[in-house]
Amino acid sequence: MESPRQGGEITVLEDSAFAGSWPTGLDPASNTTGGANIAMMQAIYGGLFLVRANDDGSNARVEPHQAESYELLDGGKTVKIKIRDGIKFSDGTPLDAEAVRFNFERNLNANCTCKPTWPLAEKDPITVEEPNTVVLRFSEPYGAVINSFPVSNVNWIVSPTALKEMGEEKFRVTPVGAGPFKVVSNKLSSELVLERNPNYFKQGLPYLDKLTFKSIGGDQAAYTALLSGQAHAYEGMNTVPLLEQAEANDKLTVTLQPPTSPYVIQLNTQIEPFNDKKAREAIYYATNFQAIADGVFKGKYPVSQSFTASGGLFHKETVPGYRTYDLEKAKQLVQELGGMKIKLGTISNYVAKQVVTALQTQWREAGIEVEIVDHQLATLIKEFQTNKWQAMLQTAGAWDPASGVGVGFRFTSTSPYSGIKDPKIDELVRKASATIDQAERERLYTELGQYISDNAYAPFGLAFAPGNVVVKGVYGPGLTTKIPPLMVNTGVIWDEVWRSQ
Amino acid sequence: MGKRLLMAIPITLGVSILTFWVLNLVPGSAAQQLLGVEATEEQVRALEREMGLDRPAWIRYLDWLGGAVTGDLGKSFVSDQQVTSLLGERLVVTFELVILAMVGSLVLAIPVALLAAYRPNRLFDRLSMIVSVSGLSVANYVLALILVLIFAVQLGWFPAIGYVPFTEDPVENLRTMALPAAAIAFPLFCFYTRFLRGDLVDQLLGQDYIITAQAKGVGPWRVLIRHAFRNSSFGLITVVGLNLSTLIGATVIIEQIFAIPGLGQLMVQAINTRDMMVVQACVIVFAVVTVVANLVTDLLYAVLDPRIRYGSS
Repeated sequence: MESPRQGGEITVLEDSAFAGSWPTGLDPASNTTGGANIAMMQAIYGGLFLVRANDDGSNARVEPHQAESYELLDGGKTVKIKIRDGIKFSDGTPLDAEAVRFNFERNLNANCTCKPTWPLAEKDPITVEEPNTVVLRFSEPYGAVINSFPVSNVNWIVSPTALKEMGEEKFRVTPVGAGPFKVVSNKLSSELVLERNPNYFKQGLPYLDKLTFKSIGGDQAAYTALLSGQAHAYEGMNTVPLLEQAEANDKLTVTLQPPTSPYVIQLNTQIEPFNDKKAREAIYYATNFQAIADGVFKGKYPVSQSFTASGGLFHKETVPGYRTYDLEKAKQLVQELGGMKIKLGTISNYVAKQVVTALQTQWREAGIEVEIVDHQLATLIKEFQTNKWQAMLQTAGAWDPASGVGVGFRFTSTSPYSGIKDPKIDELVRKASATIDQAERERLYTELGQYISDNAYAPFGLAFAPGNVVVKGVYGPGLTTKIPPLMVNTGVIWDEVWRSQ
Repeated sequence: MGKRLLMAIPITLGVSILTFWVLNLVPGSAAQQLLGVEATEEQVRALEREMGLDRPAWIRYLDWLGGAVTGDLGKSFVSDQQVTSLLGERLVVTFELVILAMVGSLVLAIPVALLAAYRPNRLFDRLSMIVSVSGLSVANYVLALILVLIFAVQLGWFPAIGYVPFTEDPVENLRTMALPAAAIAFPLFCFYTRFLRGDLVDQLLGQDYIITAQAKGVGPWRVLIRHAFRNSSFGLITVVGLNLSTLIGATVIIEQIFAIPGLGQLMVQAINTRDMMVVQACVIVFAVVTVVANLVTDLLYAVLDPRIRYGSS
C-alpha cells in the first residue's frame, strides 16, 4: 500500500436527515445537533480526546489528543486533565488550561443533548491548577468521565479570544478552534468548506489541504454523486442494496463499522399489556431477529442479546437464559393472556421501518395483532412524554454504555425514554458509570444485561452498523479502517485522512 | 387591473393565516428541537416562554403580521438569523432553477409541437406523443436519478451535485444547474408539447379563420405559425402561468437530490427543525409568486389579445 501523502482535497457527503444538518451552527455551546455533527466538530476542533482502534476495529480506546494525559483521583471523584504545551488555535492564541476551563463552563450551560451529565461538586467544580492542568471535582465518583468525552461538547475547545471578538452570532457560523482545519465558509446545513490549519499542533498534519462537507438528500443521491466523482466520501450509508452495489463497484471502498448500538424493542412496563411479565415474554418468544438480520439485511448486521454490540465495550455474545425465538411458547402465552393487541412505534427511517414491518409479520404468527406507528422525531418525543406508548423500536447503547444514548437513557426510571421503573436497574446503571475499575464495570454491566433479560424487560435485536463509502484512493482512520461508532457515525480522524494522486 | 392587484392582498393574507394555523397544529416545537430529546418538559416550557411560543397563536400571528408588512419576517428560532436574509440568499438560486426549467421546456416544446402538428399522425407526431406520454408518467425524482446516472456518472458531462453562483463562474453555474433544471423541465416539456400540439391540430381541423387563410392560398407553415400558433399561444400562456406553482413545488425535491442551496432545501430543513418563522416565510414566498404569476399571465393575455381589457365592462 502507498504511504500517506500531503496535499489534495476531498468532499465528504452527509445525509441531510442526520449529520448533514447543522442548523444552529458549529459552536459547541450553541449547537443543538452535536451528536450528529461529530465529523465537523472533530475537523474544526480536533478534540481533547479521541477514540482510536486497531485497523480492524479491535482494541478501541479513548486516547488523549489535545490533552496530554489525565488522572482519576479520589476513586473517580477528581479528574486532572493535562493539556499539551504549545497548542495554538488557528487564530494564533493559546489553547491552555484557562481556555479549557472557560469552554467547560460554557458548554455545560449549553442546550445541546451532547453536553455531559457530570455530577459536579458544589464547591470549585472546575479549576485551573497550573497553566496546563484543569481539575474537575465531582460530588460522587464518575469513572466513565473520560470515555464520555468524545461524544460530548466539552471535547471541542473554541478560541475564547475569537469568540469575544466575533460575538456569538458570527462565531457559530465561522468558529475558530485548534483542530486540523479552519473554517473558510459555512452555509448552515448545506456546505462547510475547511482548509488546513497552519497552526495545527501535529507536525506534518493534516495531510489534506482542503476538506468540504456537503449535505445531501439520502443514500441514493450520495451514491450517484460518489460515482460521478463530485464527492469522495459518504458517512453512514445504511441502504443494504446500495451497500451491495457499492461493494461490487471497483471505484469504491466500503467499510462497515463495528456495530455498537443494537436495536431494542422497548416495552412500556408501566401500562398494559407489558406490566404483565407474560406479555413481555410472549414478545421475546415471538421475535426472531436472526431471521430479520439474515433475510432483510443479508447478514450485514449481527444480532445482540444485550445493550452493547460486538464493537462496544463490555459486549457479551450471549446472555444465559435469554428467551430466544419459540413460536409455540409465544402462541401459548398469547392464548393464556386472551390475545394481544399492541401499537409498535418507531422513528421514521429506512432500516427501522423494515425491522418493524418484519416484526409485525412475525408477531402476527404468534397471534399478536400489531399496529405500526411511524413517527418523526418531534412526535416520537411527544409519544414518550405522554407515557401511553406500548412498544417502541429504538437503538440503545453507545460505544461505552455509560455515555451518549446509553443504557441509562433507555432503562432508568429517571429517563422519560425508558418505560421501566426498577430501582435495581437504576442502582446498577449508577454504580457501573461511577466506578473506575474496568473489571468491576464489566461485572456490573454483565449483571445488568442478565437482569434485563431475566425480567424480560426488552428484547435486543440486530446491531446497526453504519457503512462508510469512499472513492478509491482516499484513506483514513475511521473512513477506510474501522473505529467503533461513538453514537451513530464513526469518529473519523480527519488529520490523518489522505488521498493518492 | 388595480382591482386584481388589490385582490392579491386578501389571498396572501389568507395563505398566511392558513399556514400559521396549520403549523400550529404540527406536533413538536422549535424549543423541543433545540433542547433535544433529553430535555425535561419544564426546560422545554421555559424556552418556549423565552421564544414567545407560550402566547396564544393569534397574538403571535398578529405580531408576525405587524413585522411582515414592514418587511421584517422575524428571526429563525433555530439559527437566530434574520429570515429575510436567509430567504434572500436562497431565492436567487430557486428562481434561477425555475426560470431555466421553464425557458428550457418551452424552447423545446414549441418547435416539437409545431412539427408534430404540421403532419399529424405521421412518424414524428407519433414519436413525440410516445415521448411525452412516457415523460408525464415519470416522477421528477426518478427522472433526476436517471439523468444523473446517464449524464453525470456514465458520460461525466455534468456535475451530479452542488451549486456555483453565476457571479462566481457563469459556465460552471450553468453546468451545475443543467441536470436539476432538466429534471424539472422534462415533464413540463412533455405537457406543453401535448397541450400545444392538440390545440394546433384542433384549429387546423376546420376553424373558420384557418380555412379563410388556406383559401387565400397562404402556405401551410405560415398558416400554422402566423394563425394557428398565435391563437394557441393564449392557452399556452395560461397553462404556463398555472404551472408555475407546480414548478416551484418540484424544486423542493430536486434541490434535496442535487444538494442545491435554494428555497426548497431551506424549507425542508425548517420543517424538520420546526423552525416556524422560516417555514411561514417560505410558504408566503411561494404564495406570492403564484399570485404574481397569475397576474402576469392575465396581463400578457391582455397584451396579446386586444379584445381583453381588465377593469372595464
